[in-house]
Amino acid sequence: MTNAETYNYTVVRQFAVMTVAWGVVGMLVGVFIAAQLVWPALNFDIPWLTFGRLRPLHTNAVIFAFGGSALFATSYYVVQRTCHARLFSDRLAAFTFWGWQLIIVLAAITLPLGITTTKEYAELEWPIDVLIAVVWVAYAIVFFGTIVKRKVPHIYVANWFYGAFIVTIAVLHIFNSAALPVSFLKSYSAYAGVQDAMVQWWYGHNAVGFFLTAGFLGIMYYFIPKQANRPVYSYRLSVVHFWSLIFTYIWAGPHHLHYTALPDWAQSLGMVFSLMLLAPSWGGMINGIMTLSGAWEKLRTDPILKFLIVSVSFYGMSTFEGPMMSIKTVNALSHYTDWTIGHVHSGALGWVGMISVGATYYLIPRLFGREIYSTRLIEAHFWVATIGIVLYITSMWISGVMQGLMWRAVNPDGTLTYSFVESVQAMHPYYIIRLLGGLLYLGGMLLMAYNLSRTLVGAKPVEAAIPAPAH
Amino acid sequence: MLLRHIGGLLTQPKTEWEAIATEQTAVVDLLRSYIAILAAIPPIAGLLGTTLVGWQVGEGEVVKLTLRSALNIAIAYYLAILVAVFTIGKLIHWMAQTYGATQPLGRCLALAAYSATPLFLVGIVQSYPIIWINYVIGLPVLAYTVYLFYSGVPIMMEVPTERAFLFASAVLAVGLVALVGLLAATVVLWGIGVAPSFTA
Repeated sequence: MTNAETYNYTVVRQFAVMTVAWGVVGMLVGVFIAAQLVWPALNFDIPWLTFGRLRPLHTNAVIFAFGGSALFATSYYVVQRTCHARLFSDRLAAFTFWGWQLIIVLAAITLPLGITTTKEYAELEWPIDVLIAVVWVAYAIVFFGTIVKRKVPHIYVANWFYGAFIVTIAVLHIFNSAALPVSFLKSYSAYAGVQDAMVQWWYGHNAVGFFLTAGFLGIMYYFIPKQANRPVYSYRLSVVHFWSLIFTYIWAGPHHLHYTALPDWAQSLGMVFSLMLLAPSWGGMINGIMTLSGAWEKLRTDPILKFLIVSVSFYGMSTFEGPMMSIKTVNALSHYTDWTIGHVHSGALGWVGMISVGATYYLIPRLFGREIYSTRLIEAHFWVATIGIVLYITSMWISGVMQGLMWRAVNPDGTLTYSFVESVQAMHPYYIIRLLGGLLYLGGMLLMAYNLSRTLVGAKPVEAAIPAPAH
Repeated sequence: MLLRHIGGLLTQPKTEWEAIATEQTAVVDLLRSYIAILAAIPPIAGLLGTTLVGWQVGEGEVVKLTLRSALNIAIAYYLAILVAVFTIGKLIHWMAQTYGATQPLGRCLALAAYSATPLFLVGIVQSYPIIWINYVIGLPVLAYTVYLFYSGVPIMMEVPTERAFLFASAVLAVGLVALVGLLAATVVLWGIGVAPSFTA
């Protein structure tokens, strides 16, 4: 074993820093559009400041820029550490970093200009879609190439989750984005009518299932045992719930299309698979919670553990809520209401956000070779973020159920009891509280950005030698 | 009288928990002289509020419930609260072993019941059923309830503070899941026709 061989930490550092930067940007846009829902005049009658154009900018920024950077950073770190091998190609890895940043910048330009395919979570026009496909294939080559040159025979379970995420997102993106360009900035979907809707939500729900779940379960399976300093509670459970999760998730998309032109049997099929999904989801939650439960002595000194615990708890809660909302009777009330927004954010702020933050606090000191500037600021970040989530979710529960009830209320003569604008008016107090929740969560991110920038000032990048695998 | 604990729980929770921990209260006494009494506050307030005061949606006219419909809901509400508190007590008892505690059921139920005290009391605002006002008043009270619970677990279950943090979080997570389940069940019931009847 020569000392010359080191891990490629450069690309991990780049993505880790951008995770925080894009997190702040994406959440800032989210807070701004939440404020627009309270005070509609905040769009100042400027087209590119309107809600319809900024909302996709918010979702793309938090999912693909913030979440995506966290996934790139952690997957490159985990695959190297668990395979005892340097990344397959430094140049390809650098290409994925700069390519991904370019895609984000292009999204930030085109979406406010109103250049969009109108497909939710796949709004970017075809030239950017082609670029995404190219970068993603490069990502797959770097990741799987590293697994091929691994020095240990076993492939750790976190890499299975990352691998499933990379492969499935490639398939989903390429099929859903198939389109006929009519000009450089305009294309039409290759699918027509309800088929287009079905392909869109096959993509859309699995963006949740694989981008926002499988990838982040990869984070959970590496960073929770590491931070808790104990082995995974049940390795067998992790393998069983991996296979059942990837088999089940792919069928659940039709629950986004209840009571639409989609054939009824397809809707029911989607509902049944969504209900079944509870079991593999909770397999992961139980594994995470039980692994953490043995590390209780460390809680006093380690606020990162708190992020991880709350993250897995929200994962359990939102993966219970999801199947409930896919039941047709419940969906008849909840669909198109703020209940859905609240559900998405309990997953996004609670699960994805908290575990990304926890993993980043773990990574930064190891990548830059010095302690975090302030542990107390991490503690403050934790409480501010948690209170923010609670305000967000509870206000959206109430406003969502109210919307659903008001929209379906009919008078004895069959006319609607409430006009739409009356329901909008009734939402006003909850939108203020939601804005407050979002502000708190963003405030936590700003604390993190300050804390990490103080940590980084004057720090030198670390070169880590690859240890010989233990046999 | 177990109700004498109320004041202490609201003003000096830690001292009060320590006092409670020295008592050995039977499950039946706890149900009869604490839970059954306090749990009646929200349903009675709600009954008065929805039949006599009513609420407005936007600029619309005042909506009320018929007495019959409101009474049915109040009874179901009361039973739901009793079942919820008892279930959380059982849940704490069931989970205790994982977190190294071996307290009897009475102790676990006392933890659940005394923790819920602020929520029982704030139920009084339901006599003025403007939902967002109830929500704004309820949130800080809910926060205090959670604090009360977190401070009660290490004392009542006699486990180290850090371990109690995990224990309390696990109970809270299950409670949150139960809340979502209840929400979905209500929507399903409402959907199949068990809706309240309104009067203008």
